[in-house]
Amino acid sequence: MSDTKKDHATVSERGTREAAPKKRIRPDGSSPQAFSEGAPAAPGPMEYDYTNFYFGAGEDAFALLGPFDDWWTEVRPAGYYLYELPLHTAPGTLVDVEDTKTHEVRKNLINFASYNYLGLSYRREVKEAIKEAAEIYGGGASGSPILSGTTELHLLLADEIADFKKKEAALIFPTGYSANVGTIAGLMRSGDLIVADQYAHASIVDGMILSKATSRFFRHNRVEDLERKLKGFNGKKLVILEGVYSMDGDVPPLADIVEVCRKYGARLMIDEAHSAFVYGANGRGVVEDQGLEDEVDIHLGTFSKSLGGQGGYIAGSRQLVNYLRGFSRSRFFSCALSPVVVAGLRKALELARNEPELRTKLWSNVRFMQERLSELHIPTGDSTSQVIPIMVRDDARIFAIGEEIFREGVYINPVKYPAVGKHKSRFRMSISAAHTEDQLDRGAEIIGRVLSRYGICQ
Amino acid sequence: MPVGRYVFRTGVSAFFEMATPDAAAVLPDHLQPIEVRHQRSVLSVTAFLFDESEVGPYTELMFSVVVPPTVAAWGQHAKAGFYPFLAATSSAEARRRRSDRFHFPYLDEDIDAQFIETADRLRVRVWGADQRPIVDFSVTQYAWESTTHLLQGFMMNGEERLRTTLQISGQYTVHENERGNMTLFPHPSTEPLLRHEMPAYPFREHWFKNGTEVFHSLVSF
Repeated sequence: MSDTKKDHATVSERGTREAAPKKRIRPDGSSPQAFSEGAPAAPGPMEYDYTNFYFGAGEDAFALLGPFDDWWTEVRPAGYYLYELPLHTAPGTLVDVEDTKTHEVRKNLINFASYNYLGLSYRREVKEAIKEAAEIYGGGASGSPILSGTTELHLLLADEIADFKKKEAALIFPTGYSANVGTIAGLMRSGDLIVADQYAHASIVDGMILSKATSRFFRHNRVEDLERKLKGFNGKKLVILEGVYSMDGDVPPLADIVEVCRKYGARLMIDEAHSAFVYGANGRGVVEDQGLEDEVDIHLGTFSKSLGGQGGYIAGSRQLVNYLRGFSRSRFFSCALSPVVVAGLRKALELARNEPELRTKLWSNVRFMQERLSELHIPTGDSTSQVIPIMVRDDARIFAIGEEIFREGVYINPVKYPAVGKHKSRFRMSISAAHTEDQLDRGAEIIGRVLSRYGICQ
Repeated sequence: MPVGRYVFRTGVSAFFEMATPDAAAVLPDHLQPIEVRHQRSVLSVTAFLFDESEVGPYTELMFSVVVPPTVAAWGQHAKAGFYPFLAATSSAEARRRRSDRFHFPYLDEDIDAQFIETADRLRVRVWGADQRPIVDFSVTQYAWESTTHLLQGFMMNGEERLRTTLQISGQYTVHENERGNMTLFPHPSTEPLLRHEMPAYPFREHWFKNGTEVFHSLVSF
């Protein structure tokens, strides 16, 4: 995009690129070492990333542990420490977060990191339901769902989800990850074909790997490429896409994809992790929003996003659910969701259904924030949802920028390669119905102020 | 220990997805292709315009499959490994020396190459000895920075397994904006690639300027 090109030139002229370490940093402050005599200095640690420690040939299965540990020791204080910071509060719109670099607890940060889109995780009614269930059931299910782990609450939640999604049946999984893995690998086999959007979540990819089916990926939201990948294949075909893409906040051209799937006899699965309970007049997701609920064969979602709990589900035909109950290994061989969590989810689902004003407020907040970010000339990519990427497009400086935003009062996660492509680094902003306009305004102002120092926005 | 130093004016490396079985087919048994995504490996197409070398200026084209590097201590651990399965140069003397020293599998003819730099794009056109086109590809720029890359090259000398460490330093830009392209033409050197489905665009574009390539001693393993 033209804005980022211009921004990079401006940044370069200002000479602020040195803000992020480009040379090898050693804890003792020693100077860069030559790899060997007569050769240039060895690369700096920030020129490496996780992918450089994924593959490595050697005799010992632990061969990569030492080099990775040494690298991690160097890069953690340079920015990777911004991941996995401990929260000291509920994931509300204001949070207390421990700064593991300075060992301070930073208080009342405006929270754009949690995907508690409807603000339900800490609602009084949800907490009450959890307490009541804990009194009856204790902490955990103590069994696989097919053995002793199913309680009446699990069955009720499955029925309520099926009713909500207007489908014959639903199946509950311990996590959204296991829902994707278990559904894909439970249904598809060696010799079959799975085609997924290139930005599909890791749990979709892992399900594809476990299924042993032939896997193809089509260019993001490019229907003509999907068609190219399906064409000429004889056999079982499954197409997988997401309702809202988690790193870009955009939605798929569902009607066109449905048409291609019909043309080639492919079944269609949609992961509505970020769109269920948010999109559509009744919150039934992008499929409802685009009027294509009956054209999709497998509807998958999570309970950890909009419902603020934990777990995943699929909804579809009774036959589909019955088959996956028997062949979905990630569910079969996991402990069932804690009944305490299930009780909270049932209450959160009830609130999401009965309080459409939550969605109204969320979308009002999304519009408000998009406008504020636009006024501040902050690039946000192609997002049309409550997931708004703040595009930095500078892998070398994303951590330095993130550190400043964090210390100035906003909690938001940096995302860089390999989670996104090279130089597609960004902050992933999650908007909640619970945010006040004042919080959104102050958050945008802080982010804009820091980004302007780096020439990312005006 | 460095055994070869080459000064380049410009150099490009374009990464293309390639079906893993196709990539594995060009590798010796002891090497496996890395996967950039499930069942998709990486073809690297590189072209360098060397200004200084022991044989003077020349150009080089190389097709490689990206493989795991051999693990080394941090500080000497390479970012990636490459197995070149086809190389070609504009200089018979360069070809002879690099073939003797590094056992790269050279096409036994001089190539002719054009490096055409426009506002934000470098286009590389390569022809064989009979002026038959081999490849026409381009990469684009993003933000330039100084860098050093530590890589490994793998090669075979008969049954002997060999490895070298390679450092590339210079000005550098990389991105995954899918703005480059490639056309492979029917030619004896491209036959192994044209048998398979190849994307017309690189998923990652690397472009180097004004730098050096330093090769270290070969290690037999």
